[in-house]
Amino acid sequence: MQNFALQRQVNQFRRIFQDPVLAIALLGVSLFVFILILLPLFSVIGESLSPKNAPLFQRYLTEPIYQNIILNTLVLGVLTAAVSTAVGFLFAFVQVKLDVPFKRLMHILALIPIISPPFAVATAIIVLFGRNGVITRGVFGVRFDIYGLFGLTLALSLSLFTVAYLTLRGMMQALDPALDEAATNLGAGKWRVFRTVTLPMLLPGIASAFLLVFVEAIADLGNPLVLGGNFEVLATRIYISIIGLYDTSSAAVFSLILLVPSLLVFILQNYIISRSNVVSVTGKPSGTPQYIHAPLVRWTLFGLCMAICLLIALIYGTIVLGAFVEVLGVNNNFTLRHFDFVLNGLGSKAMWDTTRLSIISTPVAGLLGMLIAFLVVRKEFFGRAALDFATMLGIAVPGTIIGIGFLLVFNTPTVWELPFFGPVTVLPKLTGGQAMFGGALAIVIVYVIRSVPTALRAGVAALTQIDPAIEEASVSLGADNARTFRRITLPLIRPALLASLIFAFARSMTTISAIVFLTTPQTRIMTQQILNEVENVRYGNAFAYCVILILIVLTAIGVLYLGVGSTTGAERAFQGGAR
Amino acid sequence: MRKFYLSALAVCVVLLGVTAAALAQQKTLTVLCTPQEDWCVAMTQAFEAETGIKTSYVRLSSGEALARIRASKDAPEFSVWWGGPVDAFIAANEEGLLEPYQSPNAAALPDQYKDANGVWAGVYVGALGFCSNVNVLNELGVEPPTSWADLLDPRLKGNVAMAHPATSGTAFTTFWTIVTLEADKLEAAEAGKGYDADGMPTAAAVDKAFEYFAQLHQNVLQYTRSGAAPGTLAGRGEIGVAIIFSHDCTKLQVEGFKDVLTTTFPAEGTGYEIGGMALIKNAPEMEAAKLWFDWALTAKTQEIGPMVNSLQLPTNPDAAVSELSVKLAELTVVNYNFQAAGKSRNAIVERFEREIAPRPTN
Repeated sequence: MQNFALQRQVNQFRRIFQDPVLAIALLGVSLFVFILILLPLFSVIGESLSPKNAPLFQRYLTEPIYQNIILNTLVLGVLTAAVSTAVGFLFAFVQVKLDVPFKRLMHILALIPIISPPFAVATAIIVLFGRNGVITRGVFGVRFDIYGLFGLTLALSLSLFTVAYLTLRGMMQALDPALDEAATNLGAGKWRVFRTVTLPMLLPGIASAFLLVFVEAIADLGNPLVLGGNFEVLATRIYISIIGLYDTSSAAVFSLILLVPSLLVFILQNYIISRSNVVSVTGKPSGTPQYIHAPLVRWTLFGLCMAICLLIALIYGTIVLGAFVEVLGVNNNFTLRHFDFVLNGLGSKAMWDTTRLSIISTPVAGLLGMLIAFLVVRKEFFGRAALDFATMLGIAVPGTIIGIGFLLVFNTPTVWELPFFGPVTVLPKLTGGQAMFGGALAIVIVYVIRSVPTALRAGVAALTQIDPAIEEASVSLGADNARTFRRITLPLIRPALLASLIFAFARSMTTISAIVFLTTPQTRIMTQQILNEVENVRYGNAFAYCVILILIVLTAIGVLYLGVGSTTGAERAFQGGAR
Repeated sequence: MRKFYLSALAVCVVLLGVTAAALAQQKTLTVLCTPQEDWCVAMTQAFEAETGIKTSYVRLSSGEALARIRASKDAPEFSVWWGGPVDAFIAANEEGLLEPYQSPNAAALPDQYKDANGVWAGVYVGALGFCSNVNVLNELGVEPPTSWADLLDPRLKGNVAMAHPATSGTAFTTFWTIVTLEADKLEAAEAGKGYDADGMPTAAAVDKAFEYFAQLHQNVLQYTRSGAAPGTLAGRGEIGVAIIFSHDCTKLQVEGFKDVLTTTFPAEGTGYEIGGMALIKNAPEMEAAKLWFDWALTAKTQEIGPMVNSLQLPTNPDAAVSELSVKLAELTVVNYNFQAAGKSRNAIVERFEREIAPRPTN
């Protein structure tokens, strides 16, 4: 029996290695994951596995203080993931299934939160809803305590629901209306169709979005630092261990503890996806999608959406306003001096460097994500789930750990002692001022590994929807794997690719905690300048940086829409070819 | 679509090329700079203009700076570390990360502002104070605090903020100030009770300090990450009193919170920080770094800070003092022992994390 299983795995690999392109892709992806993600992580976290740290585990898992912190982290993660997925679902549903006004506006407002410069959203929330908030205190006259679980869930859900929205919107658009029609013809009402047809078909997307948001929420550092109050989570604890206590051992132990819930949600998600068959893009002709007209449903959902849009507009409006006044909420006189500081002072070089490096990392992350998704969903090989999860580590681990890992591993050239070849320099020195490209390469790599997970999840969700028969047809018509991927798969998952490119760019532009350890005098990074300004309590300058950052990302989104095409472009015509 | 990918690829290649070309640099002195960024810029530009040595900096908070020096100790990125509380320098020295240097210019400094072995030298001094929002305090019916005991007033519940001693030198200075005050009290009652033979405050004094912070915890809204952040909370009216360095409060007033904030000092004595400077062990460009070290201690260099609104006091007695600065000589300051503070830091911070921060407030 075991022999048979082994034989099957050998056969799987043999099949993959029959196609050199596929083999190279798999090898390349594995090397990427191993050298650039696992190695740096292991250099920090690996230490926690040594027996001398057993008492630390003992203490952290049994003492009530730490149990409480772990519980806080879980509660925050589940709550944020649930709220974000629900809101994302709501927005996607309104976009695809309802005929209501302002849809375009809602779409744009729902995209904006992916640009959340560190500390900006949290700070704006304090300005609006803090104890002395413009709204809580100014309009309602209460001293409301935003610090803690509620404020954190609000800030994180607002920043993260877009992931769920984009994934689910793409999936809903791809749903075959024929299924709805069939159900309706069989006598099912709209609600029943939604419950028994639409929802199950979207389950992989929901599971995938939930996983991503959960993993990101529990590893987020910026928001808990500003809005946490006395609500402590593992991410802040890890940060404090390293930065304040100079104690990497306990940080490593905490990081390992932090990975457990991520792993559990990952397994759960895989289980859900494997159990459901949700293929809806078959290449066969399909019907026309139908809107839902019931006025109660329509206007309730529309109202909800608009309320959330208003909140987003308020928060980002606050950021913009903050950049143009002396001190927001205290001295509201108009001024341009913050922009003068950013554009003519220290900021201009940082602006350039960050944009440049993000432009380099974006296509790499987007395509790599699609490629890994393709391998993971379509190909059978041993260690498939491990590859998937290892890629997710890029976001599941707090940036501080990744940054330090990079510094530990890549501050000297990476040399491997190989049999026969002797020592081989795998990578030159990547970090620090004297490194390749003044340390810029290390920053690009960190950008890539921080944004690949989102691309991967979007790709996985999109691919599970597409009937493998389309690709099989391509292969049996004589195309090889590379050609099939390029000509069939990639165009079919174009909405997912577009979403991942947008995310990759926005994420790169806003990454902070890992970057702190990698900036050099030659490469200044905007987020770190923002952090510097926040630390020096010059929020006006920080807001001005954020406004510019938002403008850059919006421009990039525009360019990507034009270049890669939106969901209303070619592939919809392809999907509805016989319409 | 294919065209787009091709042009995107071309853009990437060009960008990488541009970056690479820009970085084919000559040798430069790299400074690890911890104070406010404007000051870093002003300092590096002045040094470059005066010596002709190309100088650049990276700005990091002191905890991040130490973590980064440690992680890159096999191939140091920085040659000199300028600014930030000396506690971090003492901790770095204990790990063998610093290179001692007896600068000829250090002779001008009073003894308490430099290390006897030349490991670090002070470049500025700042004093702790209470930065209060007058409006909030009026509403609560509380006068701006003038003693450490005033902060324990139950009417200030949820209206005090300080930074977290683990992430902020400011907050640790606050803590050690209380330790010193308690040790003085114990010592006054009975010789040998407050300080041991080596001049270290006794365990009893530290316990007393923890008792104080456990009480204060009931009034604290949040332990912020950065030392100056509580000042903004006070400026915004989120809280009534912030425990921060007084020059940070003055800076806030200059930056737009003029009529809202007021600075007071504890009558029983306040703590102060020394901004340190040290050379990094095994670092490149050591000669240039030493030149910087000498230069940074001169009176003229120390007058750069006030020009960019950094109002800490100079350590060189010949340097002119800005009129906005708090004068150390006019304040009651505690007898702050930096060596002892540095030695006790880890234990105290860990205990603070264990015993104080996680406590529920009621």
